[in-house]
Amino acid sequence: MNTHTIVLGVIGADCHAVGNKILEAFFTQAGYRVVNLGVMVSQDEFIDAAIETGAAAILVSSLYGHGEIDCAGLRERCIERGLENLVLYVGGNLVVGKADFGATRDKFLSMGYDRVFQPSVDLDGVLELLSQDLAARAGG
Amino acid sequence: MEIVNKKLTDAQFDALRPQVLSSWPTGGDVDFDEGVAFHHDLPEAKRFPVALDQADQARRVLLQPRAGVALLEEHIALLQLLSTAADVLPTTIDAYTRQNRYDEAQKGIDKSRQAGHSLLNGFPAVNHGLRACREIIERVEKPVQVRHGTPDARLLAEITLAAGFTSYEGGGISYNIPYTKKVPLQKSIEDWQYVDRLVGRYEAAGVRINREPFGPLSGTLVPPFMSHAIAIIEGLLALEQGVRSITLGYGQAGNLVQDIAAIHSLRQLARHWFEAEGYSDFQLSTVFHQWMGGFPEDESKAFAVISWGGAVAALAGATKVIVKTPHEASGIPTGEANLQGIMATSQINSMLVDQQASLLPIVQPEIERIRREVNTVLRAVKAAGEGDWATGAVRAFAAGILDVPFAPSIYNKGKLLPVRDNEGAIRLFDFGAVPLDMDTRAFHAAKVKERSTTEGREPCFQMVIDDIYSISKGRLVGRPR
Repeated sequence: MNTHTIVLGVIGADCHAVGNKILEAFFTQAGYRVVNLGVMVSQDEFIDAAIETGAAAILVSSLYGHGEIDCAGLRERCIERGLENLVLYVGGNLVVGKADFGATRDKFLSMGYDRVFQPSVDLDGVLELLSQDLAARAGG
Repeated sequence: MEIVNKKLTDAQFDALRPQVLSSWPTGGDVDFDEGVAFHHDLPEAKRFPVALDQADQARRVLLQPRAGVALLEEHIALLQLLSTAADVLPTTIDAYTRQNRYDEAQKGIDKSRQAGHSLLNGFPAVNHGLRACREIIERVEKPVQVRHGTPDARLLAEITLAAGFTSYEGGGISYNIPYTKKVPLQKSIEDWQYVDRLVGRYEAAGVRINREPFGPLSGTLVPPFMSHAIAIIEGLLALEQGVRSITLGYGQAGNLVQDIAAIHSLRQLARHWFEAEGYSDFQLSTVFHQWMGGFPEDESKAFAVISWGGAVAALAGATKVIVKTPHEASGIPTGEANLQGIMATSQINSMLVDQQASLLPIVQPEIERIRREVNTVLRAVKAAGEGDWATGAVRAFAAGILDVPFAPSIYNKGKLLPVRDNEGAIRLFDFGAVPLDMDTRAFHAAKVKERSTTEGREPCFQMVIDDIYSISKGRLVGRPR
């Protein structure tokens, strides 16, 4: 089976470290080559790492509420730097306050993210979606 | 040159100050003497150290929420709302300001104005500046504390303390290791020596300002002895710089006996070590943080977690409790949800606060265990620093003598691995390089074994992950599904 490389990190000035460490363990165990940038990662650091490692996907986390500011423009920046086929996921508590998730999801889908997740998401389900999305990108 | 735990001289402090105040334009408005004069005119009801003292005398627990939004008027309105139920108030600072990223904080302010609601997770006090901060103190009738997570909090302290805030959270370890990735510990300890010295200068001018090291650290299965050791070191560093009102903190673990023992032992151990190191005229209090880990999404379930924290704070006799909200699983709460958390805590707290004494005999063995662990670790830190606590702290983290589970800092070893025992108390699964004695190790190993036998699985990382998510999924011990 093809081993994909994926880039993980917590974007912006966010220092929530626990879930990030668990995601690293989870995706590594699932057979991915995981490049974990840890907390407080800028958009350019995500892209640099994806380019350097030939990653097929970037999985962005944001837990502290500034996601709306930090995550905007990442898709455009990826395309500018030649990462046109990249799978881009985002998950966490993405906006300030308890909001309707449907509205939050639409907001981030329109920013160009392929999938948007809540913290309570079942990781096995994410694994399945990721493998589908990567296969679809490779095929297209 | 290695850092030493020595009071900054006036010359050293004054040499650093212009650079601190010029690191953002609003620093130019700071006037220490004018700040002192304003503090002298503050009524007692707005002074944090007075509230703490009165609470300890009366054996009651102060209730404090977290709260902060991007814009001044909204922030004051929020605090005025919370003031109807809380005893003492916060101003929680946004995450950009915490990393000294004032340009981005400004962007957050501007976007919040456009959006008509806060896009920041706290109040950007540096950008708003001294006059705005002063307005908070003038228009809110209770003591207000700065709560944040800032490794270099010097400018924030200069502005907010001159504005009239009477308590300041944080410390060179507790606002570095859990809050950032690559700030050297030596740098953050130095920067917090400055903050503590500033508080010491206010103290010398007759203005008492409370300091509160951040107890819960990563908030993720931190064993009490580790957070206690770090809290006591930060207390010692603060005392050396002239701080006299100190509140040490602890984050709820979930097991009743361990949590009560933790608050009792924290108070006893801090007093012991402070006096042993030659400090006598200090005012010591404690703060209990309601569960800092993941919360259930369902609000009724969240209220149960909040209330349990409120119950334990009362039974443990903490001076203050930091209150969570039914919105915790989604992040920043509305003012109304925040108020609900305080009301729930208030009810259970006042029902239990008179029942403390009956539980003391039960928790005594756990107090003894924590005491033994803390003393072992602190002696090792002091030895590592050849008698100096600042040098010792830096070297102890490098050696893994001090080690915070699940912290993001690269200066933290991350080898210490905790796990819950069969009753939900936090024990150690991997000791890393923490120098605990053989009897203590045997005790932890036996406790972990007991659980693994019950569950029919070997202790493993999955067990730790199960424990991290357990409360959000409705239980304390992360049993296999």
